[in-house]
Parts: sequence; structure tokens; C-alpha cells
Amino acid sequence: MMRAVRAVAVASVLALLGLLVWDLAHQNGPGVAVKVDKGKIVPAPKLDLPLLTGAGRLSLASLRGKVVVVNFWQSSCYPCKLEARDVAAASRAWNAKRRDVVFLGVNAQDLKGPAHAYLKRYGVDYTNVRDALGSTWPKWGVTAVPETFFIDRRGRVVPPHITGQASRAQIDDGIRRALDG
Amino acid sequence: MRCVWAVPRRARVWHQPSRLVRLLLAALAALVLAAPAAACKPQASQAYLETRLVCITCHTTLDESDSPFAVEMKTEIARQIKACRTNSQIIDSMVAEFGPSVLSTPQTHGFDLIAWVLPLGGILLGATALGFGALRWRAVRATASEDRAQSAGLTPEDERRVDEELNRFDD
Repeated sequence: MMRAVRAVAVASVLALLGLLVWDLAHQNGPGVAVKVDKGKIVPAPKLDLPLLTGAGRLSLASLRGKVVVVNFWQSSCYPCKLEARDVAAASRAWNAKRRDVVFLGVNAQDLKGPAHAYLKRYGVDYTNVRDALGSTWPKWGVTAVPETFFIDRRGRVVPPHITGQASRAQIDDGIRRALDG
Repeated sequence: MRCVWAVPRRARVWHQPSRLVRLLLAALAALVLAAPAAACKPQASQAYLETRLVCITCHTTLDESDSPFAVEMKTEIARQIKACRTNSQIIDSMVAEFGPSVLSTPQTHGFDLIAWVLPLGGILLGATALGFGALRWRAVRATASEDRAQSAGLTPEDERRVDEELNRFDD
């Protein structure tokens, strides 16, 4: 009997240790944002999320070969509202000029209703995906919204990384640099 | 040209009920329109829901958070309460949007059940272990006292010697 109890205790301790090791191994680093802010070019983290409007999913990998502007936002965030029309206008302008530049909005930690209302109100007509719990934030290194990243045709995140309200000039500059990359 | 007032008195008698009918119809329409509003009596409790749901950005219950997102969730809850949705319907809608992590306590089914069962199982296991330990300790103690009693008992030879010594002492 005592031998069985001892075996169970040892197994429990080992299981807890395993859990700890697994947790440590799966902890995210500071995310790509920190590296990009230091001027580095890094592979874009995986991004595969359901579409905010309509059914289906979208994977960032499916946009390989195009420059992608990834914009993280929330409907309750004030700077997001301030930049929303500029980002949407930039999207339309670039879309009219070139087919290899696309915009992708990542709506995170938000309610669907207000998010849909936001899209309508600010005329956001580019594709948006929904990250209900903000699970993509750690890998990307997003600490607050809005944040904007630029992905080159090879699927790499290139500087600059815009934190806070993005201006039209910043977005255009980021796209040009990604196109050059 | 004719106007209403030109209608003979006899004919006007027929016009009066039609006005009444119109009034009745208007009242009926008002009742029909008001019926859904009257039937809708909010049942859910904002205070209860704010303790059952957490703000997913700050991970505290809604009643303890004033973050922009928590405020948005509270507004959504109030809207659903106004629409006469029940507590469980509102909770289900939030779980559908954000998953079970929006709940302040784990669910009582599926994988989450472990969170409820595990502590109970731990207590039972601990109690069983304690019981076994107590029984074992009691058995060991009984054996020890028996041994002690046996070792404390005098052999007939010792008894004879003690008696002899005592007799000698008496003399």
C-alpha cells in the first residue's frame, strides 16, 4: 500500500515538473516588435484567424508574394479611431495603384457588434480578421493598440513598426520600404 | 358640392359609430404595439452578470474593472438585458464570442469539470490517506503497548525471587 502511495506521489511531482518545463518552453519572448524596432528583419509570426465579417479564415501565409500592412486595432481604442480613416484611405490608394500591396486588420479583444460598427463608421473596407482573446499579441510583441507592421513579399516583418496612431505618410513610407525589401 | 355637415341628420347617425370604431381600432393598434414591450420584462441581473464575466483584457471580473473594454462589455450586457435576454443567454453569447475564458469560474461540464472535481478528489484522497495513517498508527501503537506489557510482566521465577526478598525484608 505504502509503495503505491509513494509511486503516486513521485508521479505527481514528475507530472508537475513536466508541466513547468512545458510552460517555460512555450513562453513567448518579447515578440517580433522589439527586434523590428532594433532595425532587424524577422520572419512574420503565424497569423491564421477567422474573418471578422463573414465566414472563413485567413492565413497570413496565403498572402506570401505581396506586401502586407498588418494593423492591430480595437473598437474602443481612441487612437485607433483617429487613424482608421487614414489607414482605410491608404488602403484604397495603394489598392488602386498596385495589386501586390494589401492591408489586413487584426481586431483583437473586442466585441463583434462594436467592431462591425467601427468598420462601417470609418469606412474600413479592407480585410479584417478577429483575434477574440488577443492570442497573437505575444508573438507579434503587441503591447497596446493600434500597432502597425509591414510584411515584405518574402513574409518577413520589416521596419518600421508603428506604435500608436499611424499617419498616412508613415504608412506610405513603410510600404515603400517593404516593397524595396 | 356637399360637405359632411350637409348630410341629413339620419345619415349622420351612421357616421358617429364609424368614429367610435376608428377610436377603438386606434386603441387596439396601440395595445397590439405596446404588447411586446409590456411582455418584455427584463429578468437578467447586471450585477450578477458582472461577477460571472471577466474583462478579457485585464482578467478581472467586470464589476471590478473600468477598463474601456470592460465598459464596452457592460454596455453590451445592459443592451441584452433590455432586450429581455436571460442571464444564461447573455453568458452563452459572451462564451460564443470569447470562449470559456470569459467566465469568472470554470464551467461544470467538459474539461473545466476537472477544476471542480480535482480539489474534491484531493480532499477525499487526503482524508483516505489520513484514515489509513490513523489506523496504521493505532495498530502499531497497540502492538507496542502489548509488547511493553509483556516485557513489564514478571516470569514465575522472578515472582518467586521477589517474594523471597520481601519475606526476608519482613523478617
